[in-house]
Amino acid sequence: MEEFLKQFFDVGFMVDHFDEVLDGFWITIQLSVISGVLALIWGLILATLRQLPGKALMPVRFFTIAYIDVFRGVPLLLLILIIAGGIPALEFLPESLRLPEWFGKPDNFWFGVLAITITYGAYMAEVYRSGIESVPGGQMEAARSLGMSHGQAMRSVILPQAVRKVIAPLLNDFIALTKDTTLVSVIALNEVVLVGSDIQSETFNSSALTLGALLFLALTLPLARLVDKLISREQSRFTRGAPRVEAL
Amino acid sequence: MAGAADGGGSMLSLRGVCKRFGELEVLRGVDLEVKKGEVVCVLGPSGSGKSTLLRCVNLLEPPEEGDIHLEERSICRGPGSGTGEQSWELDFVRQRVGIVFQQFNLFPHKSALENVTLAQEKVLGRSGTEARSKGSELLERVGLGDKLNEYPERLSGGQQQRVAIARALAMDPHVLLFDEVTSALDPELVKEVLDVMRELAEEGMTMIVVTHELGFAREVADRVVFMDGGVIVEEGPPAEVLENPREERTKQFLGLVLDR
Repeated sequence: MEEFLKQFFDVGFMVDHFDEVLDGFWITIQLSVISGVLALIWGLILATLRQLPGKALMPVRFFTIAYIDVFRGVPLLLLILIIAGGIPALEFLPESLRLPEWFGKPDNFWFGVLAITITYGAYMAEVYRSGIESVPGGQMEAARSLGMSHGQAMRSVILPQAVRKVIAPLLNDFIALTKDTTLVSVIALNEVVLVGSDIQSETFNSSALTLGALLFLALTLPLARLVDKLISREQSRFTRGAPRVEAL
Repeated sequence: MAGAADGGGSMLSLRGVCKRFGELEVLRGVDLEVKKGEVVCVLGPSGSGKSTLLRCVNLLEPPEEGDIHLEERSICRGPGSGTGEQSWELDFVRQRVGIVFQQFNLFPHKSALENVTLAQEKVLGRSGTEARSKGSELLERVGLGDKLNEYPERLSGGQQQRVAIARALAMDPHVLLFDEVTSALDPELVKEVLDVMRELAEEGMTMIVVTHELGFAREVADRVVFMDGGVIVEEGPPAEVLENPREERTKQFLGLVLDR
């Protein structure tokens, strides 16, 4: 038992390596927030493109659907390796794109951001879509009958309602994204997993990784509770509206 | 009310309008003339094509065959017609034709006033102040001057429907379509909506009203149209069609409705 505790929960060891692990976790947070925000925006753009009306825009819808299908179906780890190994080899790209070191962050950080945004943008596009499709068709008809264009109706009528309905599932995706940022350790980004794993191989003690897990829980548990709260708020909104029979 | 339409030019003219949904023929050649200032009530059993007729007129469901003239201009023949895409006629129609739906379709994330101002600002380019003053004036007029900042979920069905009427009026339509606007309401809320519509009719608004309210049709309509099976079976002044129908199908239907 003592050996077990020493291997995984050595408090002294955790204190000794706390700063290193925290530095790694700080990278994890930066990676999560930047990719998370970009994926939220990119997903919304994809979902909107997917809903464009008319025959002329069929190709746009087709390519959007193809994109979403492909990147939901490809493992993120594989995409990270393709991007990090592939882009620097593309000689025709300017160096600032081949080896991006923007805002003082190393290129592997930005390759991670790119891969996560591509993948999670596709996931989140589907979440937005479910929200858009849950808005009753009469809303679009009412907006169009008042003379609004499809774009105006989307922006002022459909999306505000759709996004409100999917905040909880989007936040769930964000939690998953946060955990998936650890995959970027595979291209030598010193985030919390790589830091912990290096310490583990030097010291044969896993407590630094356990510490990383605890830091993750400190982040994800409050978010999970927030999701629960949002869902129950949405449900109580619904039941408050429901007894109004004449409105149905 | 009869006589209000005397001397008005043509507002709407439908010629051989056909509409199919897949195999189902919903409209099978409808001809209808509506003069400026006229109130036309459309009656008929469910599935007779009444609602579809309205949705053809404002191009929510563009007809496959036939032609519709709005203020003597063809609205079914321009580029992009029938596809639901933006075209000159879509703008032309939506600027002139307002519609009020059975299910109100208010924007639930907007207050009553915002429901009425949104399209004024986005479509007509009115300033916020202008739109709000017009909006509160209209909500006042439909008896909701004290509900400007309420959200739809806190309004009764009748109140919601009156907001929807104000929202349509805010766009200064030349003709208003009413699609069974009292069918989703509790009986005690029907009157407040019909009263608003009656006032509009008295002020000379051109209206096409799909309804099951025979009393309203008798009292307010200049003309009553009876539809069945996707065609107009009979039309004429309310006294004739409602009291003394010529066609067997009209008699049957009115018998059914009155027996209820």
